Amino acid sequence: MKVFKIILSLLLAIIACLLIFFSINALDLSALLKEIVPLETMQQDAGLEKAVKRINDCLADGNQNRALRSLNRLLDDYPDKVHLDVQTKLDLFFYRNNKVMLTLGVYVLFFSAALAVSAFLKQQKHQTAVLVAILVASLYAGIYIVEDLVGVNSMLMTVLKKGAIYALLAVSMNLLNGFTGLFSLGQAGFMLVGAYTYAIFTIENTSRAQVYQYYQGGLVQFTLPTLVAILLAGLAAAFFAFLIGLPVLRLKSDYLAIATLGFAEIIRAVLQYDGLGRITNGSNLLRKFTTFNTALFPFAVSGICIALIALLIHSTYGRSFKAIRDDEVAAEAMGINLFVYKQLAFVISSFFAGIGGALLAMYQTTVQAAAFTSAMTYEILLIVVIGGMGSISGSILASFLFIASSEWWLRFLDNVTYIGTFKVPFFRSGFRMVVFSVIIMVVVLFYRKGIMGDKEFSLKSLMEPRKGGKRRG
Amino acid sequence: MADSMLKLNNITMQFGGVIAVDDFSIVVKQNEIVAIIGPNGAGKTTAFNCVTGIYPPTSGQVFFENRLIVSNYPNKKMKALYAGGNKNFPKEKVCLTPDKITRLGMARTFQNIRLFKSQTVFENVLIATHLHQKCNLFSAVFRLNHQQEQAARKHAMDMLEVVGLLEVKDELATSLPYGQQRRLEIARALATKPKMLLLDEPAAGMNPQETAELAQFIRQIKERFRLTVLLIEHHMDLVMSISDRIYVLDFGRLIAHGTPEQVQDDPKVIAAYLGEDEE
Repeated sequence: MKVFKIILSLLLAIIACLLIFFSINALDLSALLKEIVPLETMQQDAGLEKAVKRINDCLADGNQNRALRSLNRLLDDYPDKVHLDVQTKLDLFFYRNNKVMLTLGVYVLFFSAALAVSAFLKQQKHQTAVLVAILVASLYAGIYIVEDLVGVNSMLMTVLKKGAIYALLAVSMNLLNGFTGLFSLGQAGFMLVGAYTYAIFTIENTSRAQVYQYYQGGLVQFTLPTLVAILLAGLAAAFFAFLIGLPVLRLKSDYLAIATLGFAEIIRAVLQYDGLGRITNGSNLLRKFTTFNTALFPFAVSGICIALIALLIHSTYGRSFKAIRDDEVAAEAMGINLFVYKQLAFVISSFFAGIGGALLAMYQTTVQAAAFTSAMTYEILLIVVIGGMGSISGSILASFLFIASSEWWLRFLDNVTYIGTFKVPFFRSGFRMVVFSVIIMVVVLFYRKGIMGDKEFSLKSLMEPRKGGKRRG
Repeated sequence: MADSMLKLNNITMQFGGVIAVDDFSIVVKQNEIVAIIGPNGAGKTTAFNCVTGIYPPTSGQVFFENRLIVSNYPNKKMKALYAGGNKNFPKEKVCLTPDKITRLGMARTFQNIRLFKSQTVFENVLIATHLHQKCNLFSAVFRLNHQQEQAARKHAMDMLEVVGLLEVKDELATSLPYGQQRRLEIARALATKPKMLLLDEPAAGMNPQETAELAQFIRQIKERFRLTVLLIEHHMDLVMSISDRIYVLDFGRLIAHGTPEQVQDDPKVIAAYLGEDEE
């Protein structure tokens, strides 16, 4: 069995390498063209020469798609003139299906790696760890391919991007509300701090005069690298959380909710204050800061952040957080300092909320303090509750479902629709939210503890027994 | 004095106008099993809570291994309200939080069982090993404390073996029967590697046979981990069979103390438990 597995995985690996090799080394079109239409044949036919020239022109313009279309037409028009042997046919095939073949190669490689792992590694723990790594890698490869196929600005990619960001926000809120049992309503406030910190430090210097047109070009006159600014956004949010936590977390019961709700409202007003205009641009938009143009970026950042949170939760610190949630008095009697650990959970959660805010700013391409209302907090709280308090994978799942249905799947309910001559009743602008509310009520009624409860998605349910699975967005 | 493990000096606890514990002083020597008994509402658990730092006493001091861990005097509005028997107040105010007291080596169980409900039996014990893990957040997240973690897991398993709950280690803590939950609480307390164990009514709700087993068990762990044990109990059989000395509380006041035989024959104790004849 083991030998068979190894041989199969080797075979697959060879196939994968061939696929990847060919698709990377696929001839470019002008070279391919010379192969297909030799110089002598071209000179014999004026029409053919013209067609070849058109393709070359398209290539010179950088319009790959049109070049490919022209080539297809050429092949249809002059089937007998072109020179097509097996070699050129193969080259043409790889040129046409470059991305798909590359993906296929990558996936086959992943699969063969998984097979090899299951053959070589004896220990269940190592096996699953490698399998999870392979799964995550193929997820990212999948996003890369899908993005290439459907286009960056398609609805699917929009939903995926926003879903990834909301997943991070929901997981960071879950760390506090679900795992530590502290009820905080300041998520929007910390996101706002993160978003503004990020935006202020990454506006290009040349655009500052334009963005801060009412405030003499602003005070900050330098630009930080994107990742540094994102980190700074998290730290800024964490700093505010630290200050709030100092007095509030020493008290028992739910003062934190009140304090954080107040903070979120106050910081929103403060950032719009005219006196701070040279930094925050008053109540005007902040724009022209660095954004991302591929969905891989938010996926990578929130993936790493969520993985860090998951690692934290499964560490001895995470166990202490859960102990505090279950019974404060007993936790204290076990030598866990309530204040320090609550403060720790609060600051870490806010740190990731700040990073999530920065990502959201990048996604929206503009930020305005007025948009970060408490409704945004409730939206994320809703995701956490639907996903399950105390479940990371639940939060991730719920945020993608939430974003997909609120942005995409229920859109049709907002349009006035006719079936034949019959006008569908109720279908008008705003009806989407009615249906959405009903769906949420149904979910809450039938899944009291959320979709996942406090369980985690794990490979256990798919294959062998295993404890404490993680899944990344 | 040299071998005194725990010393309570004139502890008074007053809630508003109610004096729960009044001028209560005890000494527990190393390696002793000492019991505090008394009718319901005598203030036994209140005394426990003062010792373990859950709330500071109104007045009085607690020494653990000759180190002052709790000390308070009537202040604020208690100054006027104070009605305790003792008028010699300590000068300083020291209130270590329960976690610090646990770190010093005093572990306790609770009268109304307080387990971590959503966690398994094993995880319950594992949490208690946290205070001996010397790792910071970074090393914990990136699993640089791997060896420590292994040691902690092994320690937790050992403790479960001691209390005989190894077979049910993956069950949810609250799904265990009552007696086993009590044992789990003791295992959790032992996992903090204490020098002294405070048991708050460990035999509550147990039948006579389970109680006898528990007595055996307490003696066993006392020997094995060289513990000093202070317990509150209602079951006279248990108290009389395992205690070296007994303190009797009634309405917050110490009415008798001594060996089990001495206490058993004390007329005041009999009166407190059976009610006095009023002619």
